[in-house]
Amino acid sequence: MAHLAMATGFLLILIGAWGALTNRNLLRMIVAFTIADTGVNLVIIAVGYMRGRTAPIIDGAVSAADAVTRIIDPVPQALVLTAIVIGVGVTALMLAYTYRLFEKKRSLDIRDYTDLKG
Amino acid sequence: MSALYIIAVGLGSAFVLGMLNERQKNLGYVITLAALTVMSAISAQWLIIFAATGAHPIDIFTAGTQPPFAINLRMGVIESALTLLISLTGLLSAIHMGNALVARGRRAMAVLVIAIMALCGIVLTRDIFNLFVFFELIVIATGGMVLLSDDERAVSAGFKYLIVSQFISVLLLIGIIFAYHATGTLNIDGMAEQGASAFALAFFLMFIAVIAELKPFPANGWALDIYESSHPGFSAIFSAATGTAVLFAVDKLLLIGGAEWFPVASGVGIVTFVGANLLALPQTNDRRLLGYSSIAQTGLILTVLGQQDILGQNYLFIAGGLLLAHAVAKAGLYWLSDLVASRQLTAWAALKERPLLVFAFVTFVAMLCGLPPFPGFYAKWELAHALAAEGRMAMLALILFGALLEAGYLFRWFGYLIKRESDEKVVCSATQAIPVFAAVIAGWVLGFVWGELSVTRFGLNNLLLTLPLLFALSFLLIEWAPAWLKNTVAIGGMVAFFVMTYAEYDPLRLIFAVIFLIGGAITLLASYSAHGRRVGFYPAAMLMYAGMIMLIRTTDSFGFFAAWELLTVGSYFLILRGKESEPHALSYILFSLGGAFLILAGFALAASAVPPAPTFSLANLAALTAPVAPWVFVLLAVGFMTKTAAIGVHIWLPGAHAEAETDVSPMVSGILLKAGLYGLFVLLMAMGKQQLFGIELTHALLWIAALTALLGNLMAIFQEDGKRLLAYSSIGQMGYAVFGLALMNHLGWLMALMFVINHYIYKAMLFLSVGGVAKRTGTRDMYKMGGLITLMPLSFIATLIGIIAVSGVPPLSGFGGRWIFYNAIMTSDVRMPMVILFLAGPIAFLYLFRLIYTIFLGQLKDEFRRVKEAPFWIVLPQMIYVALLMIFAVFPGIALRRVDEYLNQFFPEGGLGWSGNEITSAYGYWNPVSIMIIICVIFGVLLAWLMFVDRKAQKVKQFNIVFSAEAPYRPETTHFAWNFFAPYRKALGFLVLPLATMFWGTITGLLHTGADIARRFYTGNGQTYAFHFLLFVIVAYAIRIGF
Repeated sequence: MAHLAMATGFLLILIGAWGALTNRNLLRMIVAFTIADTGVNLVIIAVGYMRGRTAPIIDGAVSAADAVTRIIDPVPQALVLTAIVIGVGVTALMLAYTYRLFEKKRSLDIRDYTDLKG
Repeated sequence: MSALYIIAVGLGSAFVLGMLNERQKNLGYVITLAALTVMSAISAQWLIIFAATGAHPIDIFTAGTQPPFAINLRMGVIESALTLLISLTGLLSAIHMGNALVARGRRAMAVLVIAIMALCGIVLTRDIFNLFVFFELIVIATGGMVLLSDDERAVSAGFKYLIVSQFISVLLLIGIIFAYHATGTLNIDGMAEQGASAFALAFFLMFIAVIAELKPFPANGWALDIYESSHPGFSAIFSAATGTAVLFAVDKLLLIGGAEWFPVASGVGIVTFVGANLLALPQTNDRRLLGYSSIAQTGLILTVLGQQDILGQNYLFIAGGLLLAHAVAKAGLYWLSDLVASRQLTAWAALKERPLLVFAFVTFVAMLCGLPPFPGFYAKWELAHALAAEGRMAMLALILFGALLEAGYLFRWFGYLIKRESDEKVVCSATQAIPVFAAVIAGWVLGFVWGELSVTRFGLNNLLLTLPLLFALSFLLIEWAPAWLKNTVAIGGMVAFFVMTYAEYDPLRLIFAVIFLIGGAITLLASYSAHGRRVGFYPAAMLMYAGMIMLIRTTDSFGFFAAWELLTVGSYFLILRGKESEPHALSYILFSLGGAFLILAGFALAASAVPPAPTFSLANLAALTAPVAPWVFVLLAVGFMTKTAAIGVHIWLPGAHAEAETDVSPMVSGILLKAGLYGLFVLLMAMGKQQLFGIELTHALLWIAALTALLGNLMAIFQEDGKRLLAYSSIGQMGYAVFGLALMNHLGWLMALMFVINHYIYKAMLFLSVGGVAKRTGTRDMYKMGGLITLMPLSFIATLIGIIAVSGVPPLSGFGGRWIFYNAIMTSDVRMPMVILFLAGPIAFLYLFRLIYTIFLGQLKDEFRRVKEAPFWIVLPQMIYVALLMIFAVFPGIALRRVDEYLNQFFPEGGLGWSGNEITSAYGYWNPVSIMIIICVIFGVLLAWLMFVDRKAQKVKQFNIVFSAEAPYRPETTHFAWNFFAPYRKALGFLVLPLATMFWGTITGLLHTGADIARRFYTGNGQTYAFHFLLFVIVAYAIRIGF
């Protein structure tokens, strides 16, 4: 299960990277990046997964005393939450940029934005 | 106050800014400034505590538990210094960007505060994931700050930046999670304890991602666009603060990776340093150039991070010195760029009307180039020694090569600033001036601090506490005064310093001290002819003299090198003052710095064999043995010969000396060239004869010197320009002097010293008289002059005496030089170089004859009928020189006798005998007094006879000749003095083909072409840049695993 998730995650990353490198359209590139981000998140979750354990919530079902042996590692899940938030932020910023770019040149083709070079 | 408040204040004020009303812009700005001030103050407080007490770093635990269960921050002396640097850069940039921030409103301000907070966070945190979060905050904040710019292109630049940042964060996250998986901790120190070998691939991903944030060459197109198009206030942050924080992050990661990963950092660093500097060469946009330079500098520091295994406890001193010099200077330059309206480098000429801004620019450039007395200089010295001590000479060579490239484009830029014209006005508001001058002050303060550190750590000198340098710098404070007053202070200071220190010199050094100080003072008399304030002249001239006097007063290698660089820089500023001297000053500084780097490498290599490094007594050079010794000899000798303009590295001299101002030419020719000779004296005194691959190196020196003399003289005879003729003649004369030294016998050295004295007197005199004539006639082309003997009789006398002295005919002191020379070569067993040198002698006659014949004899041109004698203050020193030449001709013993005795300790054999007026050698005797009398009698008789027989001669006037009643096309072709030695050119012209010029021209051409080709990879397409980045990662990995 974990291996499958991890493989899927890496596959998503590769798809995303491929998409970001081959699509000329700014919006498509952003979509590609969100796919890659999702892949990364999946990988992180998969790394934290431990077979046969339960969610890291300490309540009636799992007492604090035996948490160490019963729950999966909570840290990657916490990291993923942060990563998701950051990913949303960056995506929003990129979309805002795309809006500004489109306003200026009425084009979504990355090749039209090469004024600065060399 | 706890360092945690840096984060808290940053976050808190950003929240407050977010809650403000859209219209409360000024209040928002005040909050921004206040927040940044508080953040700076906290850092400053900790820096003072750590610096004063030497306390250990303090860990700050968040969430009430120890790591790895919670994030911890650490504040130590490095952290406090770096966060201070970051938050001060932020504060000053906020002041600088005041208008833009207020116009954009609270959101922009919040983004700025967050950016600075996150940068401080990168420095403080000890948690790897926390590091990632701060990195992402910076990406977002950078994305926001880029939009502050008025430049429309900034939007696309920001987007490219975000694209690559996405790739970087993917790599970083994957690296982090697998590193966590392997170690069970996110704490950097926890990971470091376990070592990176267990998760090498994960570590590689983290490491390369963080390094990518440094914009390594060649995967950096995305960042350059930001540098070019952002608001300069933000570019300053992006360069100084972001660079600083990321470098420290790399340092933390190296803690995890350990020594195994140092080569990766070094490799990426050095490729970046050289590559980015190379690509900076063809840039014409100032901010893009600064971007390349920023990347190069971070590359250099990354290299140093990778060398920490051999730097030991000096690591922080070196990395810190380079980092602070870079950050302060680069931020300063970006702030300064806002005062210049257009973006071409040449547009910076607008600044030249504002001396204070020029001073700021000079300070920044000197800091970037690692010139004394700034921190980079001390760091460079230590780094070179550490590298040489471990035998990493290739790394040292690459670093010095990159540094030379960097000096090339920075000094070229400075040349534009001083010499080009601009009709743009510079408007400098207080808010723009404050950050710039804060950086200037910070630069000098840091120079002082690093000087003090170098004293306590290594026993070097704090250059800012040396009297000559302080004297030179003090002229900056009296720039408002009129030139005559400053001139008087300068002359007084130099004479006073000589009187104070007179007794401290041995006879050899005394001769140099007299030439540098007293000779310099006499030359300065000519400067009374200048009017106005002459801004910039005195600091430069005094810097040169300070360097020269420090050169002969020092006994250790560090002092010598520091003095060498000071005199080089001072003379560069001086030469640059000439009207047409921009390209010549540039080639001068490049050859000189190239030479200086060779000297640095030579000293470093020597120090590796003669402890104690990092500085050693110059006399210890004698203790060196093969295989190190000959290489040290070669490095130092070539370094010194760039100053004496030996053939091959001579091409800077003619332009530099000829284009310099009238009173500067004698200084840089008559006096400055002697610094190189002094270096050779010191070298040969200590090391003597050395062999490399079976070649006697002094023998090679003889050949170089002989060719220099021959070709220098040959090139001189074909010049139309009087000052150029004199300049080429200096090349030849230096050839003679070096030849004397390389003979390695008593008389050879005496002859070299004779040339030191003679060349100073007559070349300073000739440059003044020809310069005076050029000043009056408005041209330096000799064929345009003629017949000036009656109008400028004193200049004529000086020239006549000068050429008699140069040519070495009796009765003047030049003859003494020749006499000693002939004796010297008779005691030596070299033949062929001697023949060449003999050939050079008569050639000197040709150009000297031309000098007097074309300028002063012949026909007076119509337009010069009203020409007056040169100004009094230019004639006066010439007359002093005439008197000195006469005295020295009749009584050479006053200078030479003591030196002759002094030389006995090196060469007991072959000294001269001194009895009364008579000087005897093994081969004959010389009585200057009787020679003078005999020659005067013969001359008088001949002159009287000539005047008698020519009493009826008719004077040929200008219209006694006609050209078929037509004005000739190109009139100068019919002038007897034009192309004076055409037949000789036919015969010997092949010898003076500008081979050296072509050679160096080809090298610079190749560098530029290479850079232009490389530039094409920077297509401007964000996807291409992302592809570059991935390729960079793959190549780095392939090299890493030993592909």
